[in-house]
Amino acid sequence: MVCNILADFRLYLHLIAMQLRAQLQYKLNVLIDIVTYLSVTCLEFVPVLIFFGPFPSLLGWTVGEVAMLYAITSMSFGLAELFGAGIDAFDETIRRGEFDRVLLRPVGPFMQVVSSEFRLRRLGRITQGLLVFIFALSLLPGLNWTALKLAVLPIAIVSGALVFIAILLLGATLCFWTIQTTELTNILTYGGREMLSYPLTIYNQGLQRFFLFVVPLAFGTYIPICYLLGRPLPFGLPVEIAFAAPLVALAFALIAGATWRFGVRHYQSTGS
Amino acid sequence: MWRVAGFLCWENGKNEMLRFYFEVARTAYRRQLIYRWANLAGLLTNIFFGVIFSYVMIALFQARPVAAGYNVQDALRYIWLMQAMVMVVLTFGWYDLMLTIRSGEVVSDLSKPCDFYWYWFSREIGRSAYFLLFRGLPTYLAGMLLFGLGVPGDLRLWLAYAASLPLAAMLGIAYRFLFNIVAFWVLEARALGGLATAIALFFAGSYIPLPFFPPWLRAIATWLPFNGLMNVPAQIFLGKLTGIALLFGLGLQVLWVVLLTLGVRLLTSVAARRVIVQGG
Repeated sequence: MVCNILADFRLYLHLIAMQLRAQLQYKLNVLIDIVTYLSVTCLEFVPVLIFFGPFPSLLGWTVGEVAMLYAITSMSFGLAELFGAGIDAFDETIRRGEFDRVLLRPVGPFMQVVSSEFRLRRLGRITQGLLVFIFALSLLPGLNWTALKLAVLPIAIVSGALVFIAILLLGATLCFWTIQTTELTNILTYGGREMLSYPLTIYNQGLQRFFLFVVPLAFGTYIPICYLLGRPLPFGLPVEIAFAAPLVALAFALIAGATWRFGVRHYQSTGS
Repeated sequence: MWRVAGFLCWENGKNEMLRFYFEVARTAYRRQLIYRWANLAGLLTNIFFGVIFSYVMIALFQARPVAAGYNVQDALRYIWLMQAMVMVVLTFGWYDLMLTIRSGEVVSDLSKPCDFYWYWFSREIGRSAYFLLFRGLPTYLAGMLLFGLGVPGDLRLWLAYAASLPLAAMLGIAYRFLFNIVAFWVLEARALGGLATAIALFFAGSYIPLPFFPPWLRAIATWLPFNGLMNVPAQIFLGKLTGIALLFGLGLQVLWVVLLTLGVRLLTSVAARRVIVQGG
C-alpha cells in the first residue's frame, strides 16, 4: 500500500515534469500568459480597495483585514487551479471517450486524471495572492505574531486548496452521468472563492452554515484568518477550531474521493 | 442554408441583404436555444454572484446610508442589472472568430458574398437577443424575488433604457471583434482576450459600480468606451441620468459605436489583405 502510493507519487512527479518541460519550450508564451493572468487577477482585487474609499468598514472589518482574507483565499484557489487543472478539464476526457483508454492503463484513473494537466499560467493567481498578502501585512502592523499564528497560515492555504480540489473532483464525478459540462461546479469554485474573499458573517445564516458544515470552504480560509486576527467565530464556534481545518478538509476530500470511485465503477462510455 | 444565402447576395438588392442578415441573426438565436442546460447553469452562476455582491453591498451600507448619491436599494439594482446585462453585451470567453482565424476557416467567411463584419455582427446580435430573454430577464427577476429590487415605474426611463441597451450590445460586439481579430497577427491571443474582457468588465462597472470609483478614476472611466457598455444603461434604468446627462450618455454610446465599428472594419480590411492560408 505505502509502496503503491510512493510509486504513484513518483510517476506523478515524472508526468508533471514532462508537462513543465513541454510548456517551457515556449518560454516567452508562458511568461506572457502568467503576466496577463496576474493582471486579470489584480484587476479583480482592485474593487476591494475602491470599496473602502466611500465606505469606512465592512461590518467592522478594515481594508487590511479583508485583504488578508482575500490573499489567503486567492492562494488556496490558485493552488487548486494549478494542481486540479486535470480534474477541471475532465468533462473533455469523458466527452471524447478518452476515459476508456485511461481505464485500460495499469495506473489508477485518479492519478492519470490529476497528472493530465498542469498549467504554469496559474502561477499568476498565486502571485497575486502573495502581493495582496504583502499589502495586507503592511496595513496590519498590530498583529502580534506567535508561533501558532504563523502555523495557521500554511494550514489555511493547504486546507482551502484541498477543499477546492475536492469540489472540482465532485464536479468531475458528476460528468460520469451528465457527460456535459461541469459549469455547475463553477458556482462553488469561482463563486466560493468570491464569496469567501469577504467575511463570512455578511451573508445570511443559510449560506454561512453551508460553507461551514456542508462544503467546508470556510475552514480553509475564514476560520484560520479569524484566529490570526483574533476575531470571534459565528455560531459560538471556538476559535481554536482553526487547527482542525486540515482534518475537516481531509474528511471532505475523502468523501469526494469515495464519490469519485463510485462514479468510476458506474462509468458507461459515450461510445464515440 | 448557404445556397439560399448566396443567391440572396447575388441579387445584391438592399432589402435582400437586410433579410439575409436578419436570417443569420435568427439562425444564431435558434442555435443558442439548444444549450438549455448550459444556460441554466450560467443563470444560476449569475444569480449566485448577484447574491454575493448584494450581501457585500448591504454590509457596506451598514456603515453609512448614502454613498455617492446611491442608497442601498440603488446599489442592489445596479448590481443585479450588471449580472443581467453581462451576457447580453459582452459574452465571456468569446473566441469564436479567433478560432476561425486560427483554423483557417476565416477564409471561407471572408470570401462569402456578404460583408464580413455585418455577418458576424448579425450572428452576435441574434445571440444577444437570446441572452436578453433567457439570461437577463430571469436574472433580474431572481434579484427582484430575493432582494425585493422592484423596477422603475416611469415609462420614459424604460424608453431611454430601450434605446441604450441595443447601443451597448453593438458596442460589445465591436469590442469583442477587436480583440478577436488580433489573432490575424498573434496566433494564440486567448490570454490577451481574457485581459481585454477583464478590463472591459472593470470599467463597465461590473466589479464595482462606477459611481463608487474615486473621482480621478471616474473621470477617466467616463470617457472610455466601456462606460457605454453597462454603466450608462444601468444608470438610465436607475433614473440617475436625466436631461442633458441622459443625452450625453446616449451620445457617448453612439460616438463609441461609430468609432469602434469603423476602426474594427479598417483593421479587418488591412488584415484581410495579408491573409495567408495555412495548409490545404
